[in-house]
Amino acid sequence: MKVVGARLPRYDGVGHVTGRTTYVDDVRMPGMLHAAALRSPHHHARITGLDVSAAEAMTGVHAVITHADVPLLVYGHLSGAGIPGDEPLLAKDHVRYRGQPVALVAADTVEAARAACAAIEVGYEELPALFDVRLAFEDDAPVVNDTFGNWYNQYEGNLDVRQIRKGDTEAAFDAADLVVSGVYRTQSQEQAPLETQVCVAVPEPDGRLTVHTCTQAMYFSLGVVCSHLQMPMSEIKMVGGTVGGGFGGKVDTASDSLTALAAQKSGRPVKWRWTREEEMLASGNRGPWHMEIIDAVSRDGWILGRKMLTIHDAGAYGRFSVYGLTKHSFHHTGAYSIPNLHFDGYVVFTNRIPTTAMRGYGVTGLSTAIELHAERVARELGMDPYEFRLKNANRVNDTSPNRIAYEDPSTVEVLQSLASATGAELSDELRTMTRDQRTGDMLPEHLTAQVGSGGGH
Amino acid sequence: MDLTVNSVARTVQSPPLASLLTVLREELDITSPKAGCESGSCGACTVLIDGEPRRSCLTAVCAVDGAEVTTVEGLGTPEDLSRVQQAFIHHYAAQCGFCTDGLVVAATAYVSAGGSADTAAISDALAGHYCRCTGYVKIIEAVAAVARGDEFDIAATASSANNTYVTIAGAGS
Repeated sequence: MKVVGARLPRYDGVGHVTGRTTYVDDVRMPGMLHAAALRSPHHHARITGLDVSAAEAMTGVHAVITHADVPLLVYGHLSGAGIPGDEPLLAKDHVRYRGQPVALVAADTVEAARAACAAIEVGYEELPALFDVRLAFEDDAPVVNDTFGNWYNQYEGNLDVRQIRKGDTEAAFDAADLVVSGVYRTQSQEQAPLETQVCVAVPEPDGRLTVHTCTQAMYFSLGVVCSHLQMPMSEIKMVGGTVGGGFGGKVDTASDSLTALAAQKSGRPVKWRWTREEEMLASGNRGPWHMEIIDAVSRDGWILGRKMLTIHDAGAYGRFSVYGLTKHSFHHTGAYSIPNLHFDGYVVFTNRIPTTAMRGYGVTGLSTAIELHAERVARELGMDPYEFRLKNANRVNDTSPNRIAYEDPSTVEVLQSLASATGAELSDELRTMTRDQRTGDMLPEHLTAQVGSGGGH
Repeated sequence: MDLTVNSVARTVQSPPLASLLTVLREELDITSPKAGCESGSCGACTVLIDGEPRRSCLTAVCAVDGAEVTTVEGLGTPEDLSRVQQAFIHHYAAQCGFCTDGLVVAATAYVSAGGSADTAAISDALAGHYCRCTGYVKIIEAVAAVARGDEFDIAATASSANNTYVTIAGAGS
């Protein structure tokens, strides 16, 4: 234990305070070009024509990249996990969200690149757009995603829904003294790192590429770039690790593949730095979640069972949303022990920016919903919210929705600390409660079946 | 146009309406001012112009003809850190570091003008700077420490210049 509790200097601290740290935008290469993207002005449209000849003929323009230049156009961020790819690196037949890249230009200056983007002719036939996940299931809803339809449909067992079934939920609701329901909706949120998406790609004399990346996930991004470019990993060298903030927003490989293609096509080093407007408009953000919770509750304050419906807004393409929803489903009881569960979750596509990770992917909005709901249940019971939470708090060997026995749940201590910090009064029984396995009054009939199984993992 | 940048006389060839940020980064290769938003919102491009903190992204270079411009490179070096730089390291006020250079510049102007250790006054002075990592608390602690005249344990903190972790004697077992 030489590190815990010690004052260790940041290894990068001196560089950070003296302007010496080299971020991707600080990388300079001789003859480096600058890139700019042409992005969709529409939320949803069919592309009827794409002509880049005028842009290619402009002075100072060295490469124009369209869908035809991408060796593997459609790839999915979870393709490696067996989830089919659905997102083209550059739009081909359709644009499905405003800001979706259609072409990338590499030119002597960023101004020349932007001027060339403006000279690209794209024909669009606008289509009705879908923004509200609740309307995605209607028969006449616009179809957003041509791989999956309006919601992801390839879970295990060919299901189109992520399900959790545990215990006997119907019996729990039959036994309930009170049924409390609530609908909770969280908004989307941009991670807003101060460093926008940025990449510098350098073609090497032997045909290899060096890619200076701002990614939060180096080897993951290496795989994505190699897939798009259909190059072996031995031929692409990724240089990274210095990230000007990410917060999940740099898990998606946003700029590396296209910059690499532009470097390859132009034969010159290329830098592509997104503007702040592009960062806000088109980089993946935290998605909205629509959550409906119905709890079966006993008069003395036990949650006997929970039914939950979640609809996650993935935006136009899947990226990591199936992973996010799965994690969400595993956590849908939050810090509380509920033995009888019926969970249905959908990843729904809308004509919005594809959504992605941000600090507690799939769980942050869920925790908000669970805690608001706990407060609502306690109020309807007329019970002290601390007492309600502590009774139901996860204890050692209680099991999670995905049937993992908790080894070290901290809910009890967290609630006691919170009460202490806010001056809330707890009874002696609640103040001295521990995380230890349930016994006595804290082991009611409905929890006996799932307790004491001892390490169900 | 002629500028003095970090005590060195420079003649600038960029167009007169080029932003000072672009001139510093692209013509003079001084990369500590960052292009976080290029619209005057984030503060990452802050430099001192004749001692006053200013947003270089909103400053046309012709407007600073003849002025003295100081970036964080001009405040101290890894071998000779300024007190504000020492404080930012000591108090862990730099995390990803992208906002840090602008904040160090602004904090330097604040303490140079005799700013106090009062947290509200420091918050006010640094209000034009976004930091997405720290939550600001450590930044304010660092600036307050400088204003108070604290000593910083640079032997422990600056020995990281060789990019290795150090083990603090007697910390744990």
